[in-house]
Amino acid sequence: MQLVKQLHKWLSVIIALQILIWLGSGLFFNLMDHSKASGKENLVRVSQPKDIDHTRLLPVRFIINQHELISVESANPQKINSLRLIYLLDHPYYLLNHRKALYPHFDNEHSLIDAYSGKVKVIDSAMAKALAVASYSGKGQATSVVKIIAPMEDILKEENTSWRINFNDSINTSVYIDASSGRLVGHSNDDKRFADLFFKLHFMDYGLLGKSGSFNNGLIIFFSVLTLLLCLTGATWVVELVRKGRYRL
Amino acid sequence: MSLHRMSRRYHKWLMLIVGLQFVIWSLTGSYMVVLNIDYIHGDSLVNQSSSSLNSADVNFELHQLYRGYPNAEMIELTTLLDQAVYQFIEKKQNYLISADTGQLLSPINKEHAVAVAKHLYEKVDSTIIDVRLISDNPPFELSSKHLPVWRIDFDDFANPSFYISSRTGKLVTKRHSFWRLFDWMFSFHVMDYVEEDPSNKLLLSFSVLSLIGSVFGIILIYFRVLSKPNKKGVKNATC
Repeated sequence: MQLVKQLHKWLSVIIALQILIWLGSGLFFNLMDHSKASGKENLVRVSQPKDIDHTRLLPVRFIINQHELISVESANPQKINSLRLIYLLDHPYYLLNHRKALYPHFDNEHSLIDAYSGKVKVIDSAMAKALAVASYSGKGQATSVVKIIAPMEDILKEENTSWRINFNDSINTSVYIDASSGRLVGHSNDDKRFADLFFKLHFMDYGLLGKSGSFNNGLIIFFSVLTLLLCLTGATWVVELVRKGRYRL
Repeated sequence: MSLHRMSRRYHKWLMLIVGLQFVIWSLTGSYMVVLNIDYIHGDSLVNQSSSSLNSADVNFELHQLYRGYPNAEMIELTTLLDQAVYQFIEKKQNYLISADTGQLLSPINKEHAVAVAKHLYEKVDSTIIDVRLISDNPPFELSSKHLPVWRIDFDDFANPSFYISSRTGKLVTKRHSFWRLFDWMFSFHVMDYVEEDPSNKLLLSFSVLSLIGSVFGIILIYFRVLSKPNKKGVKNATC
């Protein structure tokens, strides 16, 4: 029993601060406004346009064939895993996937073809800005447009290079647009960044001993095992006190 | 009562109340951080090498598709079992049609679903132990938005299941024992045994009590470790 008590004492010295951080951040998650923490304050769904002229859509067989002809001459040929008809700013595009990951936020590779003209469309800053504005319902103006290679501090799970469009509203909304597909990666703002800080603390996600954006890092694994020991020794102590009749009102 | 005595008393009493939850928090927390989340999500169960589209396989064009389904949305041309297919939605209903002939393939039958599941499974020679069509009352691990689906259970380590949409042939989700256990762990971690919602009153009460109990614990660190222990303190340390 003496060993249990000694262990409990010295473990508590090492992890006391982190226990307070865990409990404090846990309490924050319990009380926080989940809709604010989602960063979707100024997010608006972009609906599919109604007046699309289907007869003007180029045949998909032609699009694939065109790509095959280019690939034959290319030193680095890309296959097409899938082709999707998508709408960006009310205009139809074929989105070709060349590297398919399990989820959209994993590392994918796309190219975009104008479905009316067959021309390759590269999402430039002007288009990225327009896409961001279309997804934004706030009163701010877009002030900066920058292309960012993942990982991005605001949306850590995203692995694709994205455009970041900042708005000058009261909560500093940032909108992220996937640079190769035009997909809306997500919105972030000061409320979400504040909540993210608590997630970072709760997950000990400081980019040490593992990639950031993950709660599977070496630091937290080490601390979690120590904490488990601290709690087990503590529980043993409580049982001992109960057995000895030390809990008397 | 001195601060030292008070801290000892309150730490002792509060931990009688929340001590078990501390063990649960550290046990479930350890489980969740030790096992890689991508493994938990069953990503390693899926064979991710997809087959590619060839123009020669696409003999049914979009304008023909729109003739049969004028309000089709979210159209995707992809491959299913090395066959070119269109997946799309019309009036909230999912459809799967052949991109070669335009033939309607959905809903897919049991044999088709099994073939898709085997094709997507990471191991080549997989054995299937159970196949069921789920049209209503989905199990806890399946969102009702995916219905109807085929559930295919593999005879393999950690009891993997694939859920294949009978309307699209897509793998909508997957589960294995460690993920199922993870969901339980999370429920116990946030003390919500029904909805897995961290905003519940039970968790709030326990968090507050635990925080107070821990602060007393930290005060004890000060007296037991940092300040020079007097003889009385050492004698009472067993309590």
